[in-house]
Amino acid sequence: MIVVKDLKRYYGSGETAVKALNGVSFEIKKGEFVAIMGASGSGKTTLLRILALLDDATEGKYTIRGLQVSNLPEAERSYYRLTQVGYVFQDYALINEMSAAENVYVLSMMEGKSKKEAYMVALEALDKVGLKDKPDRVPDELSGGEKQRVAIARAIAKKPDIMFADEPCANLDTRNSQQVLEVFKELNDKYGQTIVMVTHEPWHVNYVDRVITLEDGKIISDEIMSERGENNI
Amino acid sequence: MIDDMRVGALIAASSIKRGNKKTLAFIIFVLSLIFMNLVFLPSMIGGMTVLFTGIMQDYPFGDIVIEPSGDNTYINDADSVLQKTRAVEGVRAATKRLDVGASIEHKQKVVGVTITGMIPTEEYEISQYPYSIIEGDFLGDLSRDEIILGSIIAGTSTTLGDIYDDLGEARVGSLVDVTYSNGVKRTYKVKGIMEGNFELVDLNALVHYKEIEEVYGLEGSKATSVVVRVDQPGSEDQIKDKIRDAGVNEQIFTWADKSETLIRQALQSMGAINVMSEFVSLIVGAALILIIIYINILNRKKEIGILKAIGITPRSIVFSYAFLSLFYVCSGIVAGLILYFSLMIYFQANPVVFYETMIIRPVIDPVLLIRSIITMLILSVIAGTLPAWSVSKESILKAIWGR
Repeated sequence: MIVVKDLKRYYGSGETAVKALNGVSFEIKKGEFVAIMGASGSGKTTLLRILALLDDATEGKYTIRGLQVSNLPEAERSYYRLTQVGYVFQDYALINEMSAAENVYVLSMMEGKSKKEAYMVALEALDKVGLKDKPDRVPDELSGGEKQRVAIARAIAKKPDIMFADEPCANLDTRNSQQVLEVFKELNDKYGQTIVMVTHEPWHVNYVDRVITLEDGKIISDEIMSERGENNI
Repeated sequence: MIDDMRVGALIAASSIKRGNKKTLAFIIFVLSLIFMNLVFLPSMIGGMTVLFTGIMQDYPFGDIVIEPSGDNTYINDADSVLQKTRAVEGVRAATKRLDVGASIEHKQKVVGVTITGMIPTEEYEISQYPYSIIEGDFLGDLSRDEIILGSIIAGTSTTLGDIYDDLGEARVGSLVDVTYSNGVKRTYKVKGIMEGNFELVDLNALVHYKEIEEVYGLEGSKATSVVVRVDQPGSEDQIKDKIRDAGVNEQIFTWADKSETLIRQALQSMGAINVMSEFVSLIVGAALILIIIYINILNRKKEIGILKAIGITPRSIVFSYAFLSLFYVCSGIVAGLILYFSLMIYFQANPVVFYETMIIRPVIDPVLLIRSIITMLILSVIAGTLPAWSVSKESILKAIWGR
């Protein structure tokens, strides 16, 4: 589904250039739940942003379902982000003045659905993350875990090919983190949702199929977990 | 495009619905004041114009005034002009007048004046002179040795008297000596004192038309003006053309033509202040909307980045701010209109009074209101859209994470 070949991302130029990604190559199959791990500054967030079309690579190729997306013009990238990619931010990134349902259905409206249709889609997505009973709550009325689940609902409402999550549990306590990861796991198991998640918490690997570890902008390991939580390679 | 607008409207509506209500109220209040500033002063100036033009119609010019053509001092056959004019359909009344310069003396006090010679009985249908007598009586057909003095000349004016010289103790029944511009002297008994609370009236004196004719030795019914009143207000231009078509070859002016010339100068200064005031209001308004939207955008720069990151188009974001500023300005206009009409009602009941008796009521001008509303709306779209457009063009990473 995703093919990344020799992806590089440099900040600055010449000898002082910072090589955030220095030749990364991998493939992700449909339905995989992949964790990208690594120490701070290893390039994992940079990689995720490029994969989610939020940033440009300096060099290399990146295709989603065979389509070269790394060089798309901004208008097409915007359309791709809207229709093919879901993104969950570390700090939830909800619009504070919108209710949970509005945060979710604004994207469906962008896709041309009527407000009523969009609302139904939002309820369905909120149901999947266990928040069907709180569609009218604004972010300030929700706990951290609930906010993140609204963010996940927003990402999955449009039924994206692939969902990216940038340290989705970084601001959550263990209990809320477990709830969020359970949601991811269920989406992956039940609906076959492809998920790529950046994390630095070792215990999160219990929930994923595969762990790609980065160090200094390069992949140092790519491990398949045979049973979730067990290292196969 | 429609989807962009729908999403923009949703974002703007959420912001209005759940945003800070005190800030919203303050923004609307300030915008209402800006709107008020745009429309109130012109309304007051409009009131002054109505007052002045009313005086022009009621006293010197009527609805239409015919004056000598070219360099001529007089209309040579005023009776013929009157005959042709009165025959025109839509003309209610017409009369001839003779204006001359003179000085009036009473008990060693001398003042220079314009004396109008008129046919008293005809003036009842033409002007307000007969109705502005505050002491004594108006002239009659037999008033040959009698004069009407304006209140300023007589010295009875309590409002404008301090500015001008007056005759001191001239009252009804006093004898005054008039020296005309040709040197002829006459003595008149003051028959009445008139007050129109306007210099043009109160600095004037009136005598019978035949007096001037005699003093100046005029023959063949000469006049310095023929004053016409029409049946239907607003038909002046048509009647003017008809009078010309009837064969009157003198200069013909409507009251509007005359007022424009005379009042233009008087109102020019006020107009300049008004234009400056409008300009400053617009600049302040535009700056305010720009600042409000810009601060709003700076505070929500990250949110704009997030919206872009999840697939909301920049156009939707720009629309959302355009709608937002449109809402601010529409609310400001509505609040401004409420404030404006409240003030209009107040000033209709409690008009501004100049010189104690000149009553100025502001005039509600729909064209001015519509123009101001359109100006504010255009301004809001530009001021609201520009900063949003600029930020929406920024890269997502820069907007969200400042990189």
